[in-house]
Amino acid sequence: MTATAGGIEVEGTVLECLRNATFKVELENGHRVLAHISGRIRKNYIKILPYDRVLVELSPYDLSRGRILFRYRT
Amino acid sequence: MNTVHFTAGMSEHPVVVTRVAQRQWHALADDQVVGRGHVSHRPDGRIFLSIDSWHSAVFDRLADAMLADLPRPLYTVVDEADRDLTSSWERVGFTTLRREWEYLVPTDPRVTGLDAGQPPSGVTIVPAGKAAEGPLRALDRAIREEVEATVGWHTMPAEVLPRPHGTTLLDPSKYAVAVRSDQYVGLVRLATMTRQPRIGLIAVRTDQHRRGIARALLADVLGSLHSSGISTASAEVNESNKAATALFEGAGAQRASSNLELAI
Repeated sequence: MTATAGGIEVEGTVLECLRNATFKVELENGHRVLAHISGRIRKNYIKILPYDRVLVELSPYDLSRGRILFRYRT
Repeated sequence: MNTVHFTAGMSEHPVVVTRVAQRQWHALADDQVVGRGHVSHRPDGRIFLSIDSWHSAVFDRLADAMLADLPRPLYTVVDEADRDLTSSWERVGFTTLRREWEYLVPTDPRVTGLDAGQPPSGVTIVPAGKAAEGPLRALDRAIREEVEATVGWHTMPAEVLPRPHGTTLLDPSKYAVAVRSDQYVGLVRLATMTRQPRIGLIAVRTDQHRRGIARALLADVLGSLHSSGISTASAEVNESNKAATALFEGAGAQRASSNLELAI
């Protein structure tokens, strides 16, 4: 887990792609969050699929919400 | 870079938007980054924006600052299912320019109805990795010039945009080609790096359209995936591209999601 100027960044694994452009992600610590993808990922047409390893920035206002910043190559 | 925009407060903390780099803006509240804006320039010269924030008010502040600093037209891409984000862009003035469907394409010939062993008469398919590089690059250039002269590159996904300098064909091993009378007349590119292969481009020379060549290329690439044990591939199709839509839907492809390109 890394604290950055923008919030807490945690690695996780995508469990499920939900219908409203969100993803259920299980974090390294076992917690599960709902995450959107970042604008830069969307702009670059990077696809997020179940089992992808991702870097998630947690919302400082709601730790059950996050934003996928990066998809690691598998 | 220090273009600073002071804005009205959000809850008890005022939000300050700062252009921290040529292509990047930060929204700060109580010394915390609460939103980010980013700009990227496509090879065709168009400027695409993205904004990430946790609150709509911060989104609006970032959008105001970016729109004030940047020349029009400006573009962005959203997942159509993300109604909140789409609404945010519409609220600051963006409107929908086009829609791009993502299809999931089955590979099993019993489902697609495509027979990889039966290309149209006089056409042979050279599988991926076997095409001669020189003629393949010449075909790629010819097809891209035809696109530029007709529908234009603005209708294409980012990954098939022309590169600003030099060749546009970066990895010849990803392409299968259709050959007719010893001439390369069509190509298909398959990206296999991810767990779900992606059909990045199917294109046929204009004077060779309506002869079943694209269908034969699709049959070849799907057949090879099926032989490798892969059950589905993905492909993006511009909604206005009726021929591509018919090709994929005729092969049993299902719409999985859609992206909207917005502009102001």
